[in-house]
Amino acid sequence: MSSGSSGARRLASIATRPDTVCRSCWQSIARRPYSAAAAAVAEAPETPETSSNSNQKAAKDAPKPRIAYQIHAGVCLSRPPQITRDLTPFEESFFLYQKRLNERLSLPFTRYFYIAKGTVAEADWKRKIKARLTPARDIGVFNPFKKQGWNDEVLVGDTLREQESQVDALLKDAIPSAAPGQEGMVVAKEDVLVEKPMPRVTESDITGDRRSLNRLLQRTLYLVVKNSQGKWLFPHDQVVGKEWLHNAAERILVQSGGPNMNTWVVGNHPIGWFRYNFTSILNPDRGTEEIGRKVFFMKARIMAGQADLQNNIFGYQDFAWLSREELEEAVTKKYWDAIKNMLADR
Amino acid sequence: MALRDLGRASCRALWRDGRPGVGAPINPLARRNIRTRAGAKPRDLNDLESSSFLTPIRHPVPEEKVSTFDPLARSENSKRPLPSSRYQYRSPKYYRGPLHPHQPPRPSDPASREFYAGPFSLPRLQQTYESTIASDILALQYTHYPPGYKAPPRGPRLREWVGDNPYFKGRPPRPPRGSDVLRPLDRPTTFRNIPKVTGVIVHTQASAASKQNDSAYLHVAGMAIQAITGARVEVHKARRSVMQWGLRAGRNIAVTAELKGETMYHFLSKTIEMVMPRIKDYPGVPGTSGDDVGNITFGFKPAELSLYPEIEVNYDAYPPKMIPGCHITVQTSATNDYEARLLLMSMGMPFYGKVQD
Repeated sequence: MSSGSSGARRLASIATRPDTVCRSCWQSIARRPYSAAAAAVAEAPETPETSSNSNQKAAKDAPKPRIAYQIHAGVCLSRPPQITRDLTPFEESFFLYQKRLNERLSLPFTRYFYIAKGTVAEADWKRKIKARLTPARDIGVFNPFKKQGWNDEVLVGDTLREQESQVDALLKDAIPSAAPGQEGMVVAKEDVLVEKPMPRVTESDITGDRRSLNRLLQRTLYLVVKNSQGKWLFPHDQVVGKEWLHNAAERILVQSGGPNMNTWVVGNHPIGWFRYNFTSILNPDRGTEEIGRKVFFMKARIMAGQADLQNNIFGYQDFAWLSREELEEAVTKKYWDAIKNMLADR
Repeated sequence: MALRDLGRASCRALWRDGRPGVGAPINPLARRNIRTRAGAKPRDLNDLESSSFLTPIRHPVPEEKVSTFDPLARSENSKRPLPSSRYQYRSPKYYRGPLHPHQPPRPSDPASREFYAGPFSLPRLQQTYESTIASDILALQYTHYPPGYKAPPRGPRLREWVGDNPYFKGRPPRPPRGSDVLRPLDRPTTFRNIPKVTGVIVHTQASAASKQNDSAYLHVAGMAIQAITGARVEVHKARRSVMQWGLRAGRNIAVTAELKGETMYHFLSKTIEMVMPRIKDYPGVPGTSGDDVGNITFGFKPAELSLYPEIEVNYDAYPPKMIPGCHITVQTSATNDYEARLLLMSMGMPFYGKVQD
């Protein structure tokens, strides 16, 4: 078959596309000449809603509007985790045990390859190794090659395995130690020499500011808005005309959160959907009777900026950046059941 | 409409199941015995252990015993020495077959000669991959197949048994023009096969070791690769003589380090975040790199290799003219180069120039 006739067939089939099949699906079905499934969908019987007798009489005279759902695009805008997660007590203990085991099993540190003889660094090294007995800096005082090297497990209640104490040990090691009475070596203040890592808990965590993007750095945060009825949900809006879902998502982000957000819509496909029914309304534009709404959620990431609801056109009252657990408490049970499987664990 | 009716009908069918026993609650946790009926939680729930990985264990041992416990003093005060058979065990040096009475322990046993300690940390790049990159790739790579879609039939991949001659059985079919190998099939990306990094191979060839008959080049190359990777290197011999390259068959010529797991993630993040940004006018990894089945290779010159922090810290220890360059091959579980590049780009690796899939 020539390409011209194939294109004509496609056009003809698009012209008769029912509203129950999405455009991309319809195109891929109609592309195949042997499509039995497409024919089945196209000729799907439309069972009319049962109603009172007077309505049935009217229905015989005028063509009945088709029953359909409103199609909405929603945006699941998220901020990925910014820092590594806290290790579990088991992981901390396991890693410390493996580090000490490694000290016992590996060859001794090649000291003269890294520290030249007769240098200031060598004097510093000597003093430090005398104190901690091992080249590893974060496993405490432990001599792996002595007769008591088997005693490599820490006792109950020891804080050595904890991340904070290991950071402290590394910071302490980074400061050059001074020999008593030796000239030319001055102990500098800690703050000058060693840059301390930023705290893992931020000010927004302490004050409980749920609008800040600077909170819960270990978790994925999701943007939810409070609509005019006081319900928390992802921002959403109707898909206009022949707009694609990912274009609609970009538009909704600007119209709800303002232009001060640098965002990226991940992919062209929705990652989840939510459906609910309401008392049916007639849509004269499409010639359909709408009995409910289907919201398809697009995945998006925020790179920079912050949401601002000042000029939003949807009547949203408030917004918050929530983690998965906080989201479960904020939204309704039905909404949570629809969205829970598209959220990240962490 | 039709869908709505189907939902209702199926609901009704589920509720009115005629099988015996289906009327009773299926969930065992929801079942209640007479004994537990009086307001208490179901017994089955109480039997479930809470995870000890997530919460610190409350020890039933009395506090005095814990505070006074000193294993060193205890072993010194004990009258009998520790049983030597247990503490002086040595794994056999050679494997003498499965029927020999003295079998070596498993490589995961610390007493084994093949044991390597570790892991020592949970790498940041691995956590980023698991929490962010993997799900993004899944969303990007998703292909929607509408209901009723049938995949187009594929041509034969291997020869069938034709006629009486078994020669053709299992042999590849006549290849298409321009290609002589059977390419792996591309499969749709699902949550089961999201591409991930499976290994990194760092390779360097010290031709001067053979040309000038000086093994020092090979030693320096080995030390440099070991320093930047944190893994033991393997030495390779030249397989044949090539006069132009100064190769002589049988001479030690190259070293490689194979990285997996934790060291692999540490090395990758170090390369992407510390070394590549510091290379002057670095365009990135060539877009044409790749072996068509998801492995990407790039190289560093000697001056670029010395930007690794482990070499910078004692740069003086290496003879300056002997510092080698290296080839780095990133192996991924992707089946084509496009997916492999997508994965590495999401980890922050820059690519430049013409892209070849």
